[in-house]
Amino acid sequence: MDLLTAPFEVDRHRRFAPVVGALCVAGALMLGGVVGGQWLVRQGGLGRELGLAVEGTAIHGGFIAQGLIISLAGRPGGATIALRMAAGLFAAFLLGHLLPWGSLAFLLIPPLLVHECRGHPTLRRIGFLSPVRPACLLVGLGVGAFLGGHLLVTSSLTFGYAISVVSVAAYTSAVAYDVGANALSAEWLFRGALFSHWWRHWGFWGAVTVSTAFTLVRYLLDPALPQAPEARAGAIVYLAALALGAAALRAWSGSLVPGYLAAIAFFAAYRTLVVW
Amino acid sequence: MVAAALGLLLAVTAGVVWEGGTPVSPLRHLYLVPVAWAALSGGARAGGFLGLMAGFFQVPLVLPAIERAGLTGAAVDGLVSLAMPPAVGVLAGLLRDQSRARARRLAALLQIEQCLAREGPLPVRLDAVAGVVRRGLNAARVGVLVGASAEAPALGSAPPGATLTPRSAAAWSLVTGRAVRSPDLAMDARFTLPGPPAPAPLRGLILPMDAGAGPVGVLALEWRGEVATGTAAAAAEIALHLALGVENARLTLRQRRFAEELEDKVAAATRRLREIDQAKSEFLSVVSHELRTPLTALEGFAELLLTRAVPPERAARFLRHIHVEARRLGRIVAELLDLSRLEVGVAPDLKREPLELAAHVERQIELFAGVHPAHRFRWAPEGALPTLRADRDAVDRVLQNLLSNAVKYSPRGGEVRVTARAGADGLVELRVEDQGVGIPAGELPRIFDKYVRIANRETASVRGLGLGLSLVRALVEAHGGRVEVESELGKGSVFRVILPV
Repeated sequence: MDLLTAPFEVDRHRRFAPVVGALCVAGALMLGGVVGGQWLVRQGGLGRELGLAVEGTAIHGGFIAQGLIISLAGRPGGATIALRMAAGLFAAFLLGHLLPWGSLAFLLIPPLLVHECRGHPTLRRIGFLSPVRPACLLVGLGVGAFLGGHLLVTSSLTFGYAISVVSVAAYTSAVAYDVGANALSAEWLFRGALFSHWWRHWGFWGAVTVSTAFTLVRYLLDPALPQAPEARAGAIVYLAALALGAAALRAWSGSLVPGYLAAIAFFAAYRTLVVW
Repeated sequence: MVAAALGLLLAVTAGVVWEGGTPVSPLRHLYLVPVAWAALSGGARAGGFLGLMAGFFQVPLVLPAIERAGLTGAAVDGLVSLAMPPAVGVLAGLLRDQSRARARRLAALLQIEQCLAREGPLPVRLDAVAGVVRRGLNAARVGVLVGASAEAPALGSAPPGATLTPRSAAAWSLVTGRAVRSPDLAMDARFTLPGPPAPAPLRGLILPMDAGAGPVGVLALEWRGEVATGTAAAAAEIALHLALGVENARLTLRQRRFAEELEDKVAAATRRLREIDQAKSEFLSVVSHELRTPLTALEGFAELLLTRAVPPERAARFLRHIHVEARRLGRIVAELLDLSRLEVGVAPDLKREPLELAAHVERQIELFAGVHPAHRFRWAPEGALPTLRADRDAVDRVLQNLLSNAVKYSPRGGEVRVTARAGADGLVELRVEDQGVGIPAGELPRIFDKYVRIANRETASVRGLGLGLSLVRALVEAHGGRVEVESELGKGSVFRVILPV
């Protein structure tokens, strides 16, 4: 029992300065990447493809880097992992923009993350690589499938959106992007780093409220989200439900994977909705 | 249970769709049944989950109606029906959770009292208490420490087998009497935990057990993950109850020990009373014998003088015998009178006057030596002796008793040595040493008690009332002095009388 055995020093306090500084640097790099990517997009030609890849890498690589900074809390090794992940993401984005099936490269990103982070047992604190029961994985898939199915039923019944897979390649690419970038970076940062961190300090409801708010801000700022008011309202409801479900799954199972599977299942359903 | 309620929810949805799928279907109220069932069976989590699911099931029925006809009365009704199940599920579940938690805590309080009141070693009872607290507060691990310091407190834990280290938070709390709260031990800079942190936070709470008379120990609690609302207050309530329980157990133990001590004292006093009673009986028998001997002599010689014509020289001898026996009788009566005064707690009546101790002692020894020619007496004062303010008769009786004892318990030809010296502290020490049989060490503490005569085969024939030394002590203490004895069995005894000048 740790309260009876662990050494205790009443006057010792944690220092936040290294984490805050690193987060600022990562945020600046992220912003620079987005601006630089936009500039390249405006150049046209190959620069457009390059710019989109830089932009996507900056956003998702930035999320992963920030999650690493918070999770490792000043421990060394985070920068190397972030750079390698960014390189992997850049390659996947570039291939996705250049080749019809190139987005399948995103499927290599989760194994790459596992490979890079396997030497950091401290990342167990965010539910990364912690053991998980198969039932939890099934429940995660079930939550995502239920929300995705509900989204499809409600959207088609209420607003008349069509459900269709127009192109197998495009659908597969979108799902691969969700697997390797969208759902991965969101779960890594919002559930893994932020929810886990605040859960330890504020309890479940405080942590889930703030991490869900951050999730909503991230998606509402995403230019890929349909701009129709009912679509944005629906996005708020479903993404909030998805974030709540993922946080509950993270707390219940002790792992990030069930929430990640829920997000993949939800977005896999969402990608069949013709919203444009 | 959740699966069954979910099935019921689907059945209600199927019924609503079959009935027309309108937001104001009368069947929509049935959504509350599985939600309430889940809430009352599984609490707020199950109720909230089922309520949320009921809401989700109603969304595809309500939103198209709003889309078709706007926010009509029926649509509002549908929206209310949509919002009701989650609200009912959460509220009913919370009420159920709170009442269950309250009942669990009350049961825990009762069980804690029972555990503390049991017989057996304290750590075993504390293990049982920790188990009860663990169940009552739904904690992962519980430690109960009872003691005033961190050195060796009694420790109980659930799961059992926990140990305490001096640098731990519990030890710190035990010493300082202060509480420790941590939302997560793994992230708390004050703690150094071994190994990588677990995925879920480890909440920690240490509360001093204090019922108002100072801390009697600490209650340490660890939770993995979430802690229900109100748990900290319940833990404080239990800590207070534990403090009261420990205080009560200590009082009970103290009472039990006091009763045992009292029992021992009563037994010892009863034993002593029996001894005194037996000594008194022996004393009466001795007194009868001691009085009869001189009386028989007095009666015999008086009768001879009265009934026969006795020549003058024989008559004079008889009268001397009568005189000696009368004096002996007088001494016995005086001792009995002193005894009666001692019995009622009255100090001997002293007539203090200046007394030249050296000359007085020397004269007494000469007189005693004349009567007891079989023993050798030696008077050896060490330096000049001061003049005392003392009762002459009392000092005589002290000396006579000590010399008489020395003679009685010494073999014929034995030496009785009397010394005296003046101390620098205004005291005079008078020592009477003999080469007699000595006194067993176990008997020395009661040698100055009344009626005490040491049973010894060699001295069984010695006559006496068992009052001499008690009188010596009473007389010496009446002068503000004290009397001490040292003795070695078979080698002799030394009595030291210390008197103030």
